[in-house]
Amino acid sequence: MTAVTPNTMAVDTGETAAERNKRILGRVGIYGALIFWAFVSLFPVYWTITTTLKTARDVTQGNIVPWVDFKPAWIGWRSLGLSPDTIDQVSTVRDEFLGRFLNSIIASCGASFLAVLIGSLAAYGLSRFQYKFLWMRNKDISFFFLSQLILPPVVLALPFLVLYKELALLDTRIGIILLYTLTVLPIVIWIMRDQFDTIPVELDEAAQVDGLSVWGVFFRIVLPIALPGMVAAFILSLILCWNEYFFAALLTGTNAKTLPVMVASQTGSQGISWWAMAALATSAIAPLVVIGIVLERYIIKGLTAGAGK
Amino acid sequence: MKSHIYELAMQASRRQVLKGMAGATALAAGAATLGSFPKDARADFRADLLKIPGVGAGSPTDADWQKVGEMCLNATKESIKEGEFKGVELTFMGLNNQNQHNFLYRGFLKPWEAYTGAKITWIDLAQADYNPRLQQAIATGTVDFDIIEMGAPFEGDVCGKGLASVMPDWVAKQIEMDDYVDYLKAPVGTWDGKTYRISCDGDCHNFNYRTDYFTDEALAKAWKDGGGQGDWGVPKTWQQVQAVTKFLKGKQVGGQDAFGYLDPCKGWGGFGFYFLGSRATAYAKHPDDKAWLFDVDNMKPRINNPAWVRAIQDVVDVLQYEPADQINADPGTTAFQQFLAGVGGMVSWWGDVGSNAKTSDSSVIGDVVGFSILPGSDDVYNAKTGKWDKLASGPNYAPNMAYIGWGVYVMARVDSDSKKQKAAWSAAAHLGGKDLSLWCAAYPSGFQPYRNSHFNTAEWVAAGYDEAFITSYLNSEKDSYNHPNAAIEPRIPGIFQYYSTAEDELQKIFAGQVPVQQGADNIAAAWEKITDQIGRDKQVALYKASLGA
Amino acid sequence: MANLTPTTPSTTEILGDPIAPGRKAAGRALIWGATILLGLVILVQALGAAGQGPMHFDNWRPALYAYVLWAIAIGAAQVIIRGEAGQRALFILPAALFTIAVVIFPTFFGLYIAFTEWNLSSFEGRRFNGIDNLVELFHDSFYWKALGNMVFYVAMVLVEYAIAFGLALLLNADIRARKFFRVAFLIPFMLSPVAVSWMVGKSLMEVRFGPLAALAKELGWSQPNFFGSAWAASFSIEALDAWVSIPFIMILLLAGLQAMPKEVQEAARVDGATPWQSFWRITFPLMLPVSATAVILRIIFKLKLADIIINMTYGGPGGATDSVSSYIFRQYRDRSNVGYGTMLAMFYLVLIIIFITLLLNFVSKYMKKVT
Repeated sequence: MTAVTPNTMAVDTGETAAERNKRILGRVGIYGALIFWAFVSLFPVYWTITTTLKTARDVTQGNIVPWVDFKPAWIGWRSLGLSPDTIDQVSTVRDEFLGRFLNSIIASCGASFLAVLIGSLAAYGLSRFQYKFLWMRNKDISFFFLSQLILPPVVLALPFLVLYKELALLDTRIGIILLYTLTVLPIVIWIMRDQFDTIPVELDEAAQVDGLSVWGVFFRIVLPIALPGMVAAFILSLILCWNEYFFAALLTGTNAKTLPVMVASQTGSQGISWWAMAALATSAIAPLVVIGIVLERYIIKGLTAGAGK
Repeated sequence: MKSHIYELAMQASRRQVLKGMAGATALAAGAATLGSFPKDARADFRADLLKIPGVGAGSPTDADWQKVGEMCLNATKESIKEGEFKGVELTFMGLNNQNQHNFLYRGFLKPWEAYTGAKITWIDLAQADYNPRLQQAIATGTVDFDIIEMGAPFEGDVCGKGLASVMPDWVAKQIEMDDYVDYLKAPVGTWDGKTYRISCDGDCHNFNYRTDYFTDEALAKAWKDGGGQGDWGVPKTWQQVQAVTKFLKGKQVGGQDAFGYLDPCKGWGGFGFYFLGSRATAYAKHPDDKAWLFDVDNMKPRINNPAWVRAIQDVVDVLQYEPADQINADPGTTAFQQFLAGVGGMVSWWGDVGSNAKTSDSSVIGDVVGFSILPGSDDVYNAKTGKWDKLASGPNYAPNMAYIGWGVYVMARVDSDSKKQKAAWSAAAHLGGKDLSLWCAAYPSGFQPYRNSHFNTAEWVAAGYDEAFITSYLNSEKDSYNHPNAAIEPRIPGIFQYYSTAEDELQKIFAGQVPVQQGADNIAAAWEKITDQIGRDKQVALYKASLGA
Repeated sequence: MANLTPTTPSTTEILGDPIAPGRKAAGRALIWGATILLGLVILVQALGAAGQGPMHFDNWRPALYAYVLWAIAIGAAQVIIRGEAGQRALFILPAALFTIAVVIFPTFFGLYIAFTEWNLSSFEGRRFNGIDNLVELFHDSFYWKALGNMVFYVAMVLVEYAIAFGLALLLNADIRARKFFRVAFLIPFMLSPVAVSWMVGKSLMEVRFGPLAALAKELGWSQPNFFGSAWAASFSIEALDAWVSIPFIMILLLAGLQAMPKEVQEAARVDGATPWQSFWRITFPLMLPVSATAVILRIIFKLKLADIIINMTYGGPGGATDSVSSYIFRQYRDRSNVGYGTMLAMFYLVLIIIFITLLLNFVSKYMKKVT
């Protein structure tokens, strides 16, 4: 990476030629770097999307540009029952896809919502009050939450299988939601604690003097300020839950199955249907991209909420 | 595993269409006038069945699977009354590879559900999750399925623990089990003397080679000039494979770099071990001895005996003559990204390579692939005497029955409810029916031919396949299945644990980190440990049971 | 679980109204009542599961409901007994009680498994075997190799951080089409690791037909081979993982940058500092807290790296790219060697906790020194 620093220089009418050259050079450098990284980020996605239109031969020849290098076909979308010629036909594959899609939405939204809800409360508490539980103080409690993130999920497989069996949570949406909540809760708490830390305590105190209770302060004063931050945490959680594969494969069967398992099962002992994998990967990422475009400003703004104001 | 032969038929029919014929109907009609249809009703029925959706009509879809299921429902109707299983709910667990396995089974069973009144719910798994999910379900008592599509190697884990339901006689009759190829009959088709499996697939490795390589005159001349033994031609033994692989390095065929045999060196969740097995069986499987991977009496591993060490050494010897990235090639790479893409002259694989190869649209190598059973060896190791024997009959051949094939099993948990038990077996029998299986063999399904009736070339030709090609292909499969010295995989519990451990050590050997013999000894030691962990006495007993010894 | 003492907030601040003794008694009664109910349900179910006792539920669901009730009662009692201090405890209780409920059983069961020999295919089931697994672990060359690899992977987080910082600075600069670039930079983070492994690792980086290999050939690497040798494979894996994860660090940093008061930077420029100087003197130190959060979260994610390795190299060649998780994955899933696999993970967990604790201490000391 070229080292580029923020260039917030206002155009100064009195600049010299040397300064001007330097400024132009800086601009070129910045846009060059931006375009380069945009290419790095987007080309694989482009490759994935165009692969949905490629037959096996086009894949193995590494053709890149549709209509120029190869003749596009609806092959990937047809395999999902989503191509123009199959969209109006009955397709069990499409039903399967849509069912999983719905489950994915429910599981990831449900878990993200729950995590942001209880995570924000905990984060606010950790940010504002001094707790003591046995030997644990705030720092230790934060670390306790964080440590839930550390264990490789694979070793939790059997314990969770046994636990869920005993609680009759196997293959239920609520079971998956609870588990996903657990996995994203630490991140939410960490991010939200930073958020609340940046909101001046004086605000709380002033409100309390006005007669609001602790919870009144939180809901009436702090929450509105922190809301964009919660949206950001929600989106991050959503992305992480959306792609979770391991527990979904282990703990679901028929009722709660999600999309990533279907993506993974495109690979078997017979090589891979590139086009089908690409179509699934594309449709799996599509909702996230839409969310990214629509809510993008909340992600950044949210994470900066309350700061520097 | 899977059969894409259908693709090549489509290929053929596309050519026909180009020639001005009218696609599927014209093909079928043309075949009929050639008189290749047998006259009796069942043959007509089978010919009709193979017309769904018909060659050249696009890949089969859900509607086609349902139609096939509907047409093949007669056998069910004979033994089951309409609506007999009303209110019965069954859960079916299987793979959901794109357009294969469960995808088909859903369609096949839909008419069955409509007729019998039973309802089926589905658990779909990715192939990589299959083994762990099954093992964990067994170990934690969370078996949540009534019917399972399962590979025969897992029988040790399932049947060995009494989790499967024994096949009722009426099912055996309905699915016409006598029709199975030899090796799928008892003892391989049974477990400890009882029948559990409805076979819906047969599996073995065959040998795929490039015909253009071995008819290339420049290469033939260079071979002679270089002092190669005998005439330039398709290797019949592993000794020849080695020589040819070394010879081909640096040569060119059709303007492209030529390579010989392609070894997969990267692990593949245990499945990679089959490929070392295919190299080793000719050395290790003695005609007088059923065992080749473990000693029968005490499960002592043979992996570090001279036969296996020689096979490993063979790989090490020729690795430098293979493509540069071979060390990171798994079997999927060797088959689909190398051989089918025109790299390399020889590869061992399940039937998929053959069927994919011919589809000139999807592979670069097009028409230039031929098939045979796995190469043999001039000498074979006799584990009993510790000597290398030369057989009077010539080279020793021992086709590797890798994975044995998928089957449909009914779990013992339905046995307590006789209505449910009958329903589960009826559904399974429907999927294992003789005619339905022909359709599966001929169209993309994930399953290969496994019945003697599948090797009736005329039926395939009538459906639109190229005769020379399909004959060569079917023969390589049939000759492997029916070979008297076939090396049959031990169906003991945890067999993939053994394979997976071996893969890790083999990688080290191939990467040059460990000498061959020492690496093989490491594998043997690790295997002994696994056997002890699982329980040696039980393993020995089950191993004997699986061998039918 | 029943003997969990409720969280005690310190009473440093002025409390509200004094709590009437009657309220306190009522609160205590509530706690005791709920605890007894929970204990009773668990006891009945435990007895029932053991084939004894008066009644037996099909599963432990009732215990779950009882726990939820108990949790609510605890929360209510906090407020009843301790007034405002209780209200404060109420903030952290849901998350704490939820986490404990979900992880307490898996953790203890996992700990128990770690000291057993449990091969899922075994007929005897699990068998306690003391520290045998631990002894075996110390002789397991694959495990130690994987731990060594983790050092490399974790160290590379710094490179990811540097790139992410650069990107965040770019996006924070006065540029056009900012929204496009932001969304574009964020997109790799949204792809699932399975899709990345196949569509990028196995297709884009395929040695024969992949565009990246073609590009590498253009750039003079005659036989590009991204996964052939140990070091190339490690870097390729790292590159794939970095590609996915850099956006995560980037957005955290970008948020931090935007939160930074502009006046500070402008003041620096008035002082005549070059951009380079103002970055190191002002921006970087101010960004340290955010950086610490981003890097630590990223390191924790990195420590779980597995999917891409499993799909791309299966740990090879010869264990050269194994991460601890991918090796455990093989032991646990491919070999059903559950007892040993769990011990590997528990040992790893201990190492990580030590490492993270040291890291956090280091970071907080370092930040105190700098700021």
